[in-house]
Amino acid sequence: MHGMVHGQTRSPLTELRRGVLEHCVLAVLRDEESYAFHIVRTLAAAGELVTSEGTIYPLLARLRRDELVTTTWRESVTGPPRRYYRITSAGRQALDAFSNDWAQFRDAVDAVLSGQPQGVQHGG
Amino acid sequence: MEDDVVVRDYLGRLEAAAWPLPVARRAELIGEVREHIDAAMSEAGNRDEVTIRNILERLGPPEEIVAAEAESGVAAALPIGGQPVSAAVGSSPWGAVEIIALLLLTLGAIFLPFVGPVLGLVFVWASTEWTRRAKLIATTIVAVLLLLPILLLLGVRAGAG
Repeated sequence: MHGMVHGQTRSPLTELRRGVLEHCVLAVLRDEESYAFHIVRTLAAAGELVTSEGTIYPLLARLRRDELVTTTWRESVTGPPRRYYRITSAGRQALDAFSNDWAQFRDAVDAVLSGQPQGVQHGG
Repeated sequence: MEDDVVVRDYLGRLEAAAWPLPVARRAELIGEVREHIDAAMSEAGNRDEVTIRNILERLGPPEEIVAAEAESGVAAALPIGGQPVSAAVGSSPWGAVEIIALLLLTLGAIFLPFVGPVLGLVFVWASTEWTRRAKLIATTIVAVLLLLPILLLLGVRAGAG
């Protein structure tokens, strides 16, 4: 039956993660600039957000290209210079829009999954 | 050292997989992943093989990283945050450099014999959008077309002399 397709390697969350992850990167950068390795570690610490850490780099390149972040190279005390990422005002707008959309989406999915679609919710 | 071999093997796979990417981006991506490995090793405070294999495992298969790169190129046409962005232009192979290169290679060959196509090649190699393969093909075609008349001319002279 559905969901039991043998040999299907990608979970539905893989598809979902992709679009969500770039906004999570923007959220990590909301209050302070950061460098790629630190962003990856922060997201990994949050839970099941990043599966293959290397895929964060194409994502950061896209955010640069879309001018949702800007970058600056800075000296590092421990190693070679690091590229620091900083959110732009366009990035903040995208993040705010996503935060709203996500809250509604999450609530709708939760409601359906729990068998209590919106409008017929029973107060708790 | 064994661990260096493992890292080199990984980066080699990445380089091979990243072959279709624009030259500048490919070099940048490989540099980023290399730095990530270095940062993860200094974080672990250890460079033994198990540590390194774990780092590479977390990075994921090189092919998957490059696939994400290709997806992000396609997805550039679908701006995030609902904002209409002209990012689709950025993913097109037709930037100013590429258009100038093509004009020099075609019209340039007529109006600026020899100089035009050679200048065109300079622009071809300056492009960050075209692949190395495309650039090599363009160079070969121009070289053959430029050398052919010279060789024919030399052949005629040698035959006459």
